[in-house]
Amino acid sequence: MIEFKLPDIGEGTAEGEIVKWLVSIGDAVKEHQAIVEVMTDKATVEVPAPADGTITELLVGEGDTVPVGDVIFRLDNGGGAPAQASSPEPAAVPSAPTAVAAQPEPSGGKVLAVPSARRVARELSVDLGTVAGSGRNGVIRRADVEAAATGGAVAQSSHSVVAPTTAQAQRIPFRGVRRKIAEAMVRSSQTAVHFTIVEEVDVTDLVRVRQKAKAIGAEQGIKVTFMPFIMKAVANGLMKFPMLNGHLDEQAEEIVLPGTVNLGIATDTPNGLIVPVISQVESKGLLQLAAELGDLSERTRAGRVRPEELRGSTFSITNAGNIGGTIATPIINFPDIAILGVHRIVKRPGVVDTPEGEVIEVRQYMNFSCSVDHRLADGADAARFVAYLRQILEEPALLSL
Amino acid sequence: MGDAPDLSDEQFVELLRNMIMIRSLDGRMLKLQRAGRVGFVGTATGLEASLVGAAAPLLPKDWMWSGLREGGAAITRGLPLFEYVAQMYCNSNDSAKGRQMCNHFQHKGSNYPSWSSVIGTQVTHGVGAAYASARRGEDVVHSIHFGDGATSSNGFHSGLNLAGVWKAPCVFVCIDNGWAISVSSAEQTAAESYADKAQAYGMPGVTVDGNDVLAVYAEMQTAVERARTGGGPSLVVLKTYRMLGHSSSDDPSKYRDDAEVQSWAERDPLKRYEAFLIERGLIDSSECAAQEKAIVAEIDEVIHEQEAAPPFPLRSLVEDVYSEVPRHLRVQFNQFLEVAERRGDATRGDGAFPL
Repeated sequence: MIEFKLPDIGEGTAEGEIVKWLVSIGDAVKEHQAIVEVMTDKATVEVPAPADGTITELLVGEGDTVPVGDVIFRLDNGGGAPAQASSPEPAAVPSAPTAVAAQPEPSGGKVLAVPSARRVARELSVDLGTVAGSGRNGVIRRADVEAAATGGAVAQSSHSVVAPTTAQAQRIPFRGVRRKIAEAMVRSSQTAVHFTIVEEVDVTDLVRVRQKAKAIGAEQGIKVTFMPFIMKAVANGLMKFPMLNGHLDEQAEEIVLPGTVNLGIATDTPNGLIVPVISQVESKGLLQLAAELGDLSERTRAGRVRPEELRGSTFSITNAGNIGGTIATPIINFPDIAILGVHRIVKRPGVVDTPEGEVIEVRQYMNFSCSVDHRLADGADAARFVAYLRQILEEPALLSL
Repeated sequence: MGDAPDLSDEQFVELLRNMIMIRSLDGRMLKLQRAGRVGFVGTATGLEASLVGAAAPLLPKDWMWSGLREGGAAITRGLPLFEYVAQMYCNSNDSAKGRQMCNHFQHKGSNYPSWSSVIGTQVTHGVGAAYASARRGEDVVHSIHFGDGATSSNGFHSGLNLAGVWKAPCVFVCIDNGWAISVSSAEQTAAESYADKAQAYGMPGVTVDGNDVLAVYAEMQTAVERARTGGGPSLVVLKTYRMLGHSSSDDPSKYRDDAEVQSWAERDPLKRYEAFLIERGLIDSSECAAQEKAIVAEIDEVIHEQEAAPPFPLRSLVEDVYSEVPRHLRVQFNQFLEVAERRGDATRGDGAFPL
C-alpha cells in the first residue's frame, strides 16, 4: 500500500489545489500514468502514479486546496499493506465536500487566479470570470473575490457578524482517517465488554512537585507536564496489577501479558485521533518520559510519526478530559485490556486531616476514568488499580518506589 | 539537413540513439518529479541535436564544461546511465555524494566537471583549464557550453576575452534556445546575433541550425580541430528551441506564445534526423519507436534500482573537508546523531565518532 503525499512540484510550493481526478477508486493504474491534475501558484501539472497498482482511496475533493505532504490518494501495489487495506469501495470520486449545490463555472476562457481565491470563490459562489484581478498581470487575488462578493449585494455574506441563523446543511464524505477511527471504535465497543470506574485524586502535592520538576526540565529544554507523572504511576500500577496490561489473542485463545508497559497516548491531531506509543515506560525516568512524550506528540500532530510508533500498545491513556467534563467512559484502544481517561484539575474545598483535627482547605482534584475489558479482568482489579494510582499520585514521593 | 559528415553507418545510427535517450530520459525524469520521487528536473527536449551533435566530435581525452542542460550530452560521452539516475535521486551512488542539487551532473571518467547553477561561471573555469592544458603541452580540447542568457554574464566576457588573448584550446558552445527562463533573445541583446560577439574577442563566430544534428556535428568538428591544432578558440552558436519549461518549476505558457512553440515543433530535431536516416536507407520507419521502447525499458529498470538505493550515511555530512574529521566536527556530529536516532532518521553506517 502506497500513501501518496502531495509533492512539492515547484521549488518551494506550499500547497496545491486538486483540479481534477483522472482516475476513480478501483482503477488499475500503471507507473507514470497521470492520476490527478494539481494547480499550484506556479503551474498546473499532472501528477503521475509512483508505481503500478490499484487506486483504493482518493482523499481530497476536487477544488480543495491541500498542503504539500498531505496524503491525497492511496494505491494498493500489492506490497506490505498496513493491515487495514480496504477493498476497493464503489464510492464515487469525492466531489467538493462543502456541498455548494451548483458551482458557478468560470465564464469561459482561462481565468488567472491564485488557489486561495478559487477556493473562496467557490465558498462564496462567485463566478471568477466576473471578478477583476488586482494582482500582477491581472491575477485574481483572494481579496478581489471577497470584494466582489460583498459588492454583489446578495444578503448571502456568510461572514456576517449578525447573530448566526441556520447554517448550511453539509454532507461530508465518510472516508479516510475518520472512517478508520470509526472502524476501530466499532470493533472495540462491539467486542470488549466495557466497564468503567471513576476515581477522584487529590493532586495538591503533585501540582507542587510538578511545578518544581517543570523548572528542572526547562533547564534541559524539556517540557514537563502532568502526563509523565501519570504515565509513571500507571506503569508502576500495571507492574503490580499485570492482568490489566496486555491484550487478548483471540486466535490462540490466550491472554497475552507482556511484562513491559507500552503506553498508547491518545493524541488529538488536525487529522483526528491518533495513538502513538511510548514503550517500556516502567524502565524510564520522568524526564526521559517527558522528553519522549514532547517529541512524539509534536511529530504526531505534524503527521511525522512512523507507522511502527503506532503499534504495540499494552495500555492507553487518553487526555481529552482536559478540555472539559468530569467523568467519561473511554473506549478501549482495542485489543488492549484497559484504558485510563485523565480529566482536568479543579480546585475545590477538601477535608484534610491535621494534628489539630479535620479542617477545610482549598485542594486540587483530578478525576480518572478507567475502562477495562470485563471479559479479561474483574471490577475488583480495576478498583484496586485506580486506588493504587490515587495512593501514589496523592503522595508523589511514592512514585520512586 | 547539412552535408553528411564522414561517419560510419553505425555512427550515424548511434547519434539517433543518443538523441532518443535524451528525450526518453526527459520524459521519465519529469514524471518522477511530478510524483515527488526526485526534486527537480531541467529538460533538454528540443535540444537533442545541439547536445549530441556538439558532444560527438570530442575525443574521450577532451573536456566538456556544462551549462544547465548537457546531462544528455554527457551520456553521449560516457556518463553511465545509472550515475545519471543516481544523481537525480542524490542517493549513495551519486558521485557528488548528495552535495549537489539534483539534475547537476559530473563524471570524472569522461572529464566532465560538476555543473554550477550560477550563470556563466563555467566559462572562466573552462578557459582557465584549457589554458592550463596548453601550458602542460597536453593535446586536449575543452568544449565550454552555456545558454543564450550567459552571454550577458561577466564570465562570458572574461572567459572569451582571455581565451582569445591566450589562444586557449577551447570551443565556446552557445545553446541559443530562444529564452533565458522568461527573457527572450530580443530582450537579451541588441546585437544581430550572438555569434557577432566573437568578433570583439578576435575569434571566429558562427551560427548553426541547432536542430540539425549533422550541421552541428560538422561545424563543431571544424571548431574542435581548429582548437586542437593551435588555431585558438571559436564561438559556435546553436540556434534551437527549448520545447518545455525552463525547469520543472516553470510554466512557459506564462511568457511565450503557443504559435512560437508550434513552429519549432515542426522543426523537431529527432523527426528531421529520422527522415534523413530513412532516406539514406540506414533505418526503417519502425526503428525510432522500437529504440524508444527499449531505451525507456532500460531507463525504468535503472530507476527502480536506484530508487531502492539508500542515501549517503549521515556521517558524510562532515567528511571530505579536512583529511581527518576534527574534534569540533566530531562533537557536533555526535550531538546531531543523537537527535537523528531519536527521530528515527539515522541509518546503518551512521555510527558516532570516537572522541
